[in-house]
Amino acid sequence: MQAQAKFNLRKSKRSLFGLLFATMLLIITWRSPAVASTAKHYTELDFPPLPEIQLPEYTRYQLDNGIIVYLMEDRELPLIGGTALFHTGSRYEPADQVGLASLTGEVMRTGGTADHTADELNQILEQKAAAVETGIGTTAGSAGFSALSEDLEEVFGLFAEVVQEPVFDAQKLELAKTQEKGGIARRNDSPERIAGREFQKLIYGKDSPYARTVEYQTLNNIQREDLVEFYQKYFHPKNMILGISGDFETDKMKALIAEKFGTWKPARTLEIPPEPNTNQVHQGGIYFINQPQLTQSYIEMGHIGGERNNPDYPELMVLNGVLNGFGGRLFNQIRTYQGLAYTVYGIWNANYDYPGVFIAGGQTRSDATVDFLKAVQTELSRVQREPVKPEELSYAKESTLNSFIFNFESPDQTLSRLMLYEFYDYPQDFIFDYQRQVEATTIEDIQRVAQKYLKLDKIVTLVVGNEAEIQPPLSTLDSETKITAIDISIPEPS
Amino acid sequence: MFPSWRVPLCIQHIPSGRIWRGFVGTLLIGLLWGLSITPLLADENPTRSSASIQPYLDQVMDEVSEFRLDNGMKFIVLERHKAPVVSFLIYADVGGANEPTGQTGVAHYLEHLAFKGTKRIGTTNYQQEKPLLERMDQLFEQIQAAEKQGKSEQVSQLVAEFETVQTEASKFVKPNEFSQIVERAGGVGLNAATSTDSTVYFYSLPANKLELWMSLESERFLEPVFREFFKEKQVILEERRLRTDNSPVGQMIENFTAEAFKVHPYGRPVIGYVEDLKTLDRDNVEDFFESYYVPNNLTVAIVGDVYPTQVKQLAQTYFGRYTAKPEPPKIQLVEPPQQETREVTMKLPSQPWYFEGYHRPALSHPDHVIYETIASILSNGRTSRLYQTLVEDQQVALAAEGFSGYPGDKYPNLILFYALTAPGHSVEEVAVALRNQIEKLKTEPVSQTELEQVKTQARANLLRSLDSNMGMAFALLEYEVKTGNWMNLFKQLDAISKITPADIQRVAQETFRPENRTIGKLLSQES
Repeated sequence: MQAQAKFNLRKSKRSLFGLLFATMLLIITWRSPAVASTAKHYTELDFPPLPEIQLPEYTRYQLDNGIIVYLMEDRELPLIGGTALFHTGSRYEPADQVGLASLTGEVMRTGGTADHTADELNQILEQKAAAVETGIGTTAGSAGFSALSEDLEEVFGLFAEVVQEPVFDAQKLELAKTQEKGGIARRNDSPERIAGREFQKLIYGKDSPYARTVEYQTLNNIQREDLVEFYQKYFHPKNMILGISGDFETDKMKALIAEKFGTWKPARTLEIPPEPNTNQVHQGGIYFINQPQLTQSYIEMGHIGGERNNPDYPELMVLNGVLNGFGGRLFNQIRTYQGLAYTVYGIWNANYDYPGVFIAGGQTRSDATVDFLKAVQTELSRVQREPVKPEELSYAKESTLNSFIFNFESPDQTLSRLMLYEFYDYPQDFIFDYQRQVEATTIEDIQRVAQKYLKLDKIVTLVVGNEAEIQPPLSTLDSETKITAIDISIPEPS
Repeated sequence: MFPSWRVPLCIQHIPSGRIWRGFVGTLLIGLLWGLSITPLLADENPTRSSASIQPYLDQVMDEVSEFRLDNGMKFIVLERHKAPVVSFLIYADVGGANEPTGQTGVAHYLEHLAFKGTKRIGTTNYQQEKPLLERMDQLFEQIQAAEKQGKSEQVSQLVAEFETVQTEASKFVKPNEFSQIVERAGGVGLNAATSTDSTVYFYSLPANKLELWMSLESERFLEPVFREFFKEKQVILEERRLRTDNSPVGQMIENFTAEAFKVHPYGRPVIGYVEDLKTLDRDNVEDFFESYYVPNNLTVAIVGDVYPTQVKQLAQTYFGRYTAKPEPPKIQLVEPPQQETREVTMKLPSQPWYFEGYHRPALSHPDHVIYETIASILSNGRTSRLYQTLVEDQQVALAAEGFSGYPGDKYPNLILFYALTAPGHSVEEVAVALRNQIEKLKTEPVSQTELEQVKTQARANLLRSLDSNMGMAFALLEYEVKTGNWMNLFKQLDAISKITPADIQRVAQETFRPENRTIGKLLSQES
């Protein structure tokens, strides 16, 4: 859940002024020749510059118990929203209890608090059209709220209860487990989901915290006490960044935060384990999952990628831009020119604090599978071999730079970004460094990063498809590579 | 955009439906913009929050202006100067339901082709390209005729010539130039969507590019060239395989819908049947375009950092170039009242799903808000009746909800319920539990508390939707086109405030009758 937020005109006079001024300029420049109201082709148009980006004002401070707080007033609409981030995640759950983090994140909210049962919580919030939600993902936990500003005190109070005194009701845990089991039973119902899940396992390893999946057995190993313990380990004031934006006065909000969170005493001391090691487990190879009912092959291919703090990250994003998007090479060649797919992509992905995956793929009719794979390989090797054309580079750069303003469309975008940078220990002006570096990217840079970061010999290829219909068969791709079948049948609990 | 690269944009025939706990994925195809547009509701006897919200809604209404060009094209402008960006939406009042028999998919095909450029965009030399495109059309016609007559030798000869001409024509193509111009200019969210009722084209630009949008979009429909026609057909066939043929739920929904509508074109899939797609030619698309993409059938919403006088001036200059044309034909087919329960069962490699639909009137009917309220009481949130009973208490379903407006809402449509069975439970158990909840609406009045909650939530939803330029563009046009006035987006709030428990009971009794019911069962086929 994102904080609701708006540009606060009263509070940011400079930007308002800038906007007004720019707008007046626009009107003047458009009106004087506009008398000659003739339609122009797009090539004949000139555009006035946009006003400079103005960052909304905000307050950052720390409570005595360690909570870091960001506050951003935004009085446009009578709404307030907030998010708290915690260092935790499924990457820290025990291997025989996969699903523990996700269940903890869910039942923390659905199980009620010491002062309000789950039903009471649901009723109060829904009657006020408000929300409090929690969740734990791979690398972070979050808790959020959203309310009409007139309901702030009550809703924020419930939010504080959910964060500090969840009771992890046993029945709600059972319900959550039933839902998880339903998810396991249904996980092979979609070929896209099969491909997505199994590809991650091929890259990170089937037991890696970044790829492993919840199973009936790991769910059976999880008891209520495990949730309580997992919660206590990580939900700790020293581990919390809270950001709130919306229709409030900063001083009053500070007082409310102090009242609701100032006395929070954690049950134990905070220990964040080290991040798990990450290596690519298979170096190349073709893997296949037979689904005889399909008329299409679902393809994912790639290798391990990197992190956002990689110094070449901006250049790699420009490379992504050359390959992808409506004007990208893969779309142009494989979809538009060859008509081989509705979806096709090749993206070097980066995470904040562990390596992402370079992943290419799409889906194509069964008998075109080999053509599709070859076409993707051709494009990947071409971008390494030949310099991109100047217009391809400018397409990728201009798309990023001219749309940069959309990162500042509303103040809460800035707020979430600042919180994420602090959370993952990135510099506060990371986005502006990124912008400068995109601007400076050259044709040589693209070729350099394509050669350095795309490792064609390390590409693992996964096809989910109909073996009998894939003609020519996958074996014609490369006679030396063995094709490994993957069994995706769902293990029963032991 | 920064910071993430996602799977690239796709031109799609429908926006994806709802995500259920992140793993069920796309379901209810045709649920167009259901989220922010179901808003509804204000209150005549203002509660605290309605009194505090109303001034904000009034203010937004004040900032909306509208004008119509001499050729009949309508524009709605909402000024929002909080950031120097603008969202643009062109709404063609035509969708899958308007297609001629035997040409299903043509509306969506046209939507894809509207990205192929014009006489000046997307080509290096239209004069030289044009005869090649025409030659391909002839050859395609000849190939089809030869195939019908079983002259296989002639077919392969014609196909060979076709390939040669296609290769020749492709040399003049600047692929995806139209989209590239938009993206280079800083355009974001570029896409289009086709539903049973409408075809929409949209993206957002930095505010200094207003005139670029005027130039590009007016040219796009002034002199479109439907080039790369036959290659795009392959892309669309892939899209159909992806969304329907290789998705158990997609197949189920297609059959279910055909069962529920025997006469009205709502029974046909927007993506089109394969046999129709295969035979569609460029003339079919041109004809469809000529009939329906006429100025008085197009409506535009512009929301963001713009000034209405300037918008109007530019709109006259650019879109004033369109010639007024006759009104497009209206759909005359009416679905006759259903006489008995219908049922479709499919066995596919999937865990079970249960569907149950009931016919209801169109969006413009006064009871529309009552149907929305019923759907909300049953489905909205953890306190909703279906979640409370089927999911939480009985645990027979992983998810269960109902919503109105399937597959469209311009014409009489369905209130559709669906549920995913929980492990160890059958669609029959789910059906019984669901039916109990539906029957209860007929026999017992809903509580004031439940009704109040729906009203409050609707107001708050509308308030929250004001935040998004594109969201507002969609909401304003849905109401403008389907109800005749964008103000109904706000005024529906009044209608809802008047809803009583008796209204709900009346509509439930009228609607939830066995003879008005269509059932769909998707059962596991163990491989």
